[in-house]
Amino acid sequence: MKIRTLEYFIREVFVSLKRNNWMSLASIGTVAVSLFILGMFLIVVLNLNKMASSLESQVQISVYLEDDLNAKQIDRVGDRIKNLQGVDDVTYIAKEKALERFKERLGEQKFLLSAISETNPLPNAYEVTVKEPQFVKTTAEAIHEFDGVESAKFGQDVVEHLFDLTRLIRIFGLSIIGVLAVATVFIISNTIRLTVFARRKEIAIMKYVGATDWFIRWPFLMEGVVLGCIGGLIAAILLRSAYAGVTEKIYNTLAFFPLIPEYPFLNYISAFLLIGGMAIGAIGSTISLKRFLKV
Amino acid sequence: MIIKMKDVSKIYENGTIALDHVDIGIEKGEFVFIVGASGAGKSTFIRMLFREVLPTEGTLDVNGRDVLKLSPREVPYLRRGLGVIFQDYRLLPEKTVYENVAFAMQVIEAPRRTMQKSVNSVLEVVGLKDKCKCFPSQLSGGEQQRVAIARAIVNNPAIVIADEPTGNLDPETSWGIMDIFRRINLSGTTIVMATHDKAIVDTMKKRVIAIEDGRIVRDEAKGVYGYEN
Repeated sequence: MKIRTLEYFIREVFVSLKRNNWMSLASIGTVAVSLFILGMFLIVVLNLNKMASSLESQVQISVYLEDDLNAKQIDRVGDRIKNLQGVDDVTYIAKEKALERFKERLGEQKFLLSAISETNPLPNAYEVTVKEPQFVKTTAEAIHEFDGVESAKFGQDVVEHLFDLTRLIRIFGLSIIGVLAVATVFIISNTIRLTVFARRKEIAIMKYVGATDWFIRWPFLMEGVVLGCIGGLIAAILLRSAYAGVTEKIYNTLAFFPLIPEYPFLNYISAFLLIGGMAIGAIGSTISLKRFLKV
Repeated sequence: MIIKMKDVSKIYENGTIALDHVDIGIEKGEFVFIVGASGAGKSTFIRMLFREVLPTEGTLDVNGRDVLKLSPREVPYLRRGLGVIFQDYRLLPEKTVYENVAFAMQVIEAPRRTMQKSVNSVLEVVGLKDKCKCFPSQLSGGEQQRVAIARAIVNNPAIVIADEPTGNLDPETSWGIMDIFRRINLSGTTIVMATHDKAIVDTMKKRVIAIEDGRIVRDEAKGVYGYEN
């Protein structure tokens, strides 16, 4: 494409944006809103995923031992656990230490323990971590079968619930995004249709004097892409400031919450929204060109 | 032959037979009138030449291209060799005379340095150089048609195709337009013109092809209109 032709196309795009100013604004607005929501869901889902996998990777198996084992037997159980495939680390927690920890967790309410006074109700235990999250369940089941093991438990329920939640949000988000994307494509294609209609005389003359189909199509396609791109840009800017505000609030109140840090995460999201906007614009105008521009 | 129609028929989807087994050849540099009553098939004949209408059967060669075998991608290149003029001028109202003519060069990506020269020279041919900054609405019908002619010839087409170019003009103005066509023809450009204008056809003494009900009923070298208006 010659530079002069590109100049011509760009001028045509701006003339056209100005001519359909309200429709152009409406298109940009819908693209911005749709992509903003898309970005929001993306951020929420990615954060929940991160949270779930960080919880999952931290999952420990608590192996509670039977009460009447001697030290040698306890060591044997520990060795057997260490020899299992996928086991990363095994730590022995004697019942006395467990009680200590329990007291710490109770904090000011540790007076509750005075009721049981001298007897320690907690069992001796091993804390086992595994190399990969998928080993958790099988390892726990294997350990449970060992002699001298009372039970082997892990936070299966929490992780599974979290995954259910992300799955739900993902499905919900995807359907909303789908609906919004269709609406956006529709609005952009309508805008382009108006442009095509406004220029039908020019298009006819271009055909008579031998302009190629692509020469005729390009300005319309570019118009759609520009509309989508501006919408994407607005969505990205809004989302960046929103995320910055929300992360600050969350860090102030729930410090342990493992949010994805702003950079470079937000840059990826912004790039994604821009590209998404341009793609939506291109699809919208292509639909219009197919239906209304008989070249 | 620059235009060669062999056994060409056109049947529209509604069953209308617009052209019925037409055979015709037009040599390079000829000036040909297509005459006939409204609905006789003149328009279909003219529009086939620049492939706005495709023949249902037969073969059609225009300016060295087999029109029926052209892919959509090649159609623009067929049209670049043709200049088309309509009864209703079809100018762009928001562009000046100069811009209307230059537009035809712009959209085929003609080099810029030749553009100004070409546009000015064709505006001189049609006698509108001093009105190049005017908008179509500021011009008379005859002047607007001259702009359309300038636009049609600015890319040096081998064939100029005109569909009733004087249909909206008074006789005096029509003569001015015909004089321009005559001069374009003298420079070697083939001209095919559909017309209803008896006076023009009878005076010009050019080849006349008469179409009735989709058939060629008369083809005379220095013909007359042959119908009563």
